[in-house]
Amino acid sequence: MGNPLKIIKNGIIDENPTFIQVIGMCPTLAVTSSAINGVGMGVSTAAVLICANVAIALLRKIIPDKVRIPAFVVVIASFVTIVQFLLQAYMPALNDALGLYIPLIVVNCLILGRAEAYASKNSAIDSFFDGIGMGLGFTIALGVLGLVREFIGSGTAFGMQILPEAFPQTLIFIMAPGAFLTLGFLMALLNHFKNKKSA
Amino acid sequence: MKDIARPALILLIITAVAAALLGVVESVTEEPIRIATENTQNAAMKASLPEAETFEKVEADFTGTTITTVSVGKDASGNEVGYVITANPSGFGGAVPTTVGIGSDGVITGIKVTTPSETPGLGALATSPEFQDQFKGMSGELKVNKDGGQVQAITSATITSRAVTSGVNEALTWFEANGGAK
Repeated sequence: MGNPLKIIKNGIIDENPTFIQVIGMCPTLAVTSSAINGVGMGVSTAAVLICANVAIALLRKIIPDKVRIPAFVVVIASFVTIVQFLLQAYMPALNDALGLYIPLIVVNCLILGRAEAYASKNSAIDSFFDGIGMGLGFTIALGVLGLVREFIGSGTAFGMQILPEAFPQTLIFIMAPGAFLTLGFLMALLNHFKNKKSA
Repeated sequence: MKDIARPALILLIITAVAAALLGVVESVTEEPIRIATENTQNAAMKASLPEAETFEKVEADFTGTTITTVSVGKDASGNEVGYVITANPSGFGGAVPTTVGIGSDGVITGIKVTTPSETPGLGALATSPEFQDQFKGMSGELKVNKDGGQVQAITSATITSRAVTSGVNEALTWFEANGGAK
């Protein structure tokens, strides 16, 4: 068994799904028009990722290699659907806020990617921590992206007015091109710090 | 043969277990989901037509309009106090479901807009009270200010504002055609 803290840190920093691995880009770019949307998507993805990772790690010796991808997809899609049913039934307010994004989780290649690269080769406990690490890494990345875009695009942070309303808002940042621009600048910034550290 | 049969059988078992699980969750949550949806709809209807206590769906033919549901609102003693009509006009990014409350006198008592596909910070501002509340007390044919009308459009979101206005117009037209003001 690996060191849980190390596995978690690996997910958040060394192999951050968004900034280092650059996977799961579709939901990343589509939903980060505000900080709260980014965090919401991150948390729901993390919940499914943890469950799917554990289930697949437990089944890894049973699932034959030839049919592993369809088996993973069935497990992931089932968890997503269960989460959606539960949210609709018992947390309608949260469901209203996240409802659009939940089905998107099925197609998030982060989850299938971790199932294939990690959970199918490691124990359930390690996979559980990998899910937490990757999920946190994804949530932080989406939250930061959303925060930057919301701040520049509408002058607010988590829905609270920060810049004076008269301050010109750069609307392009909350529209689709702003997602690409923000992601590019953030990645450049992170690479700059990484290079500095290793130099 | 064994190479094919074994994986197929295991995959079958996995999908069968998953399907059974989903079936169980579905049947457990069916009733709570129905109640939650009903509560949300009732809350939206109550916000548009505050006088009404209960709502009854009206069955009618809505072809040629984007109207999806029409309900008649009744007060505590069962008297008709107006209609709540939901239309689905097209906005900038997709449908803009607009629920309109119309009192028995043909005057708008309130509207409730949802914007699942409008641009955040622009078209999505149609859900703000500032925009929605201006419709209260209006009647007749509505237009946005850019088209020479009385509705203050949202800055840089004329398309969404026009969509909401057209949804409200559809509701008012249906109301006129099916009884009208009393």
